Amino acid sequence: MVRITSDILQSVVKPARYTGNEWNSVHKKWEDVSCHFALSMPDVYEVGMSNLGLKILYEILNNREDTWAERVYAPWIDMEEEMRSRNIPLYSLESFTELNKFDFIGFSLQFEMCFTTVLNMLDLSGINVWAKDRGDDEPFIIGGGPCVYNVEPVADFFDLFLIGEAEEALPELVEVFCEWKKEGRPNGRGEFLKRAARVRGIYVPSLYVPQYDEKGMYTGLQTIGEDTPPVIYKRIIQDMDSVATMERPIVPYIDIVHNRIMLELFRGCSRGCRFCQAGVAYRPVRERTESRLRELARKMIDVTGYDEISLTSLSSADYSCLGGLVDNLMNDFSCEKVGFTLPSLRIDSFSIDLADKMQQIRKSGLTFAPEAGTQRMRDVINKGVTEEDLLKATGAAFKKGWKTVKLYFMIGLPTETDEDVIGIAELAQKVVNHYKETTGRKDVKVTISVSCFVPKAFTAFQWFGQNTLEEFSRKQMLIKEHIKDRSIHYNYHDAHVSLLEGVLARGDRRLSGVIYSAWKNGSRFDGWTDQFDESRWTRAFEENNIDPAQYNIRERAFDEVFPWEHTTPGVSRAFLKHEYEKAVAESLTKDCRRGDCTGCGICQKLGVNIVDWGKERA
Amino acid sequence: MPEVVSYTYRAELTKDAQLRFISHLDYAALVERAICRAKLPVVYSEGFNPHMKLSFASALALGVTSESEYMEFILSKDLCQPEVFDKLSSQLPDGVRLKALKKIEGKHKALMALADEARYRISFSTANPLSEWETAVSEFNNAESCFFQRKTPKKTRDIEIKQYMIGQLEIEANDGLIELSASVKITQQGSVKPAEILEYLRKSSGSEYDISNVEIRRTALLCGGRNLMDVM
Ligand code: SF4
Repeated sequence: MVRITSDILQSVVKPARYTGNEWNSVHKKWEDVSCHFALSMPDVYEVGMSNLGLKILYEILNNREDTWAERVYAPWIDMEEEMRSRNIPLYSLESFTELNKFDFIGFSLQFEMCFTTVLNMLDLSGINVWAKDRGDDEPFIIGGGPCVYNVEPVADFFDLFLIGEAEEALPELVEVFCEWKKEGRPNGRGEFLKRAARVRGIYVPSLYVPQYDEKGMYTGLQTIGEDTPPVIYKRIIQDMDSVATMERPIVPYIDIVHNRIMLELFRGCSRGCRFCQAGVAYRPVRERTESRLRELARKMIDVTGYDEISLTSLSSADYSCLGGLVDNLMNDFSCEKVGFTLPSLRIDSFSIDLADKMQQIRKSGLTFAPEAGTQRMRDVINKGVTEEDLLKATGAAFKKGWKTVKLYFMIGLPTETDEDVIGIAELAQKVVNHYKETTGRKDVKVTISVSCFVPKAFTAFQWFGQNTLEEFSRKQMLIKEHIKDRSIHYNYHDAHVSLLEGVLARGDRRLSGVIYSAWKNGSRFDGWTDQFDESRWTRAFEENNIDPAQYNIRERAFDEVFPWEHTTPGVSRAFLKHEYEKAVAESLTKDCRRGDCTGCGICQKLGVNIVDWGKERA
Repeated sequence: MPEVVSYTYRAELTKDAQLRFISHLDYAALVERAICRAKLPVVYSEGFNPHMKLSFASALALGVTSESEYMEFILSKDLCQPEVFDKLSSQLPDGVRLKALKKIEGKHKALMALADEARYRISFSTANPLSEWETAVSEFNNAESCFFQRKTPKKTRDIEIKQYMIGQLEIEANDGLIELSASVKITQQGSVKPAEILEYLRKSSGSEYDISNVEIRRTALLCGGRNLMDVM
């Protein structure tokens, strides 16, 4: 057991990150369980504790008598220094056990910039960072989360990955483990991994060897072993009502990023934005019933004492009976001062009315994502939003008293011209003018936040060559030059980070050396602007003789084999290619949620159906 | 307008070792959530953003444990003491114990303004002989004034400690540890922290203590020498 003395806690910021024992945290006896599972997010406590997936798995695993799931997050720089200087290993927040004593460490990989933090956490635990070096007494390192749709850059650091939704697959894996353990761990860890590879949705990278041609182009994978599946399809939950889920979330002692109950209305989004990986990864849409949602809300409020529920989903306003659900929830909790919030607003007045009814705190302002500045560009990305929609929605908000609006955009999209880029500044100006016309006042604040587009695996734009640094910078300045109004506030993202994401998001296994070097050069918490240091990565690429432009800037051929295609959400490649062609032709694809199937292939491939109560009724 | 009847309850709580690194604000939040879970009929403030009417006595420094935290909350129903006590107790996390609870009748002063004295016990281990510490303590007790440099991230200033002391600083050895007992004044102009008294002694005596093993506990919070549960 690790003991953290008070002088350490006295000297670090937010010591409660490291002390555990929160309300609803689960405690068992170490000897009583056969599977010890550490659930982790390679980020600080406040971020890790806010992740819905980890909360769900914490309960599902802990509901099993044979398993104890504990939590661990990345210690912040100050705590890491204390731990390293005193040789304190990374430990779990429930039993304060050294991480290297666990059977599994599961990392939720939310975005590529967390990769070096994973290595740092393994190192802090005294666990070999390369999977091939791990001995029989070391934990199995398993990854999950959105990054699994291209995990090749980190494949050499993990023993296994779980592709897709884990509610059913993870318990299956635990069972295979307990069985193997009961047999006395025959043939060491290799044997367990072989057995694990037979669980649907489990990818064991050591059983797959990437092949390259003489020019260094990736040509495919060679599988080792007879029954190793060549392609691993994501796991998916058909019935969101009956699947086990979070009912007793942990209540942290300090404020965290999402310090409220997350009520997941549905999974999936089929609006079909062509840049969006989540839109493909979580298809098809599956809703929970209103009665199940109300039951979950009641349970979670009762056991936490929280006073706020966030109605969480990729696009919550698309829930088929949202208006009715909100009315009923507000009614259910009318005596208890429970507030409700919608994390994402659709660009329409229905959303504004709802936000108004829910009394979302006005000072934080409203956030919309038109994503692009011109209609032409929005048609390319299949963002079914018009200028009129945006002006109507913001107008409705202004009439209800909102004064601040935040708009999200991207630059560097396929077929983008300078006119499209300037369109971002112009659209912001139109919103400002609209405020003046609607209210007769000038006290509006419109913030535009512009990010640099990163093409992602399994999207229509997976073939597209990312813009260069020069191009991004030029476009960022172009927008700046065209902002004429003081009411417009302009933020843009660091293009260096987006370009690095661009490399990792479509990288292959050869990048593991780069990631390792970057970590050795001091990288961790790369997602934190104040911690990110571009030069560590530049050196890492040089040290490994790898040209990053090959991965991010290069336009890929339609017949090129991609290194990520074996861990798939089940989408058809032909569909994606067709979507790219339609994008270039500026032609739209409809939402399949309540309309016709548009042929992405996921439902057929995985044998699942859309669950939408609005569609049922219609 | 119907007259709103409300009932004020005062509670005496602990803040034990496992929670000593939770800030005062976060401690208040955890008690608030416990009250919610206990399903007590609490009164909320009016307005756009209603919040529970909850007040605390003097805040505790980070890292210090306490046997004497006081808070007041208001209920809209006249519930009997054992019911409120049991419901709230069952929802408090490890590290907070409800020691006493009482309904406050009639007019009373704000809890915030009541406390004028705090008592602390400081225990630590040291390699220096007890006698060195005893000398330092008796010099401290006999001195007219003792100045200490208080450093905050923003500024450094000299404070005089003795003006805040009530009675003598006491010292005893206990199981290889040294224990100091101090009683300090809480004034509108401020007070002295127990850790500052210990630091002062360390510097004045030239002795050292093991920083990983210091425990400071607030043993009482008083008003005119009486427990806050007994003062209105
Ligand atoms: S298969 Fe058809 S219905 Fe199912 S998600 Fe894809 S487009 Fe929609």
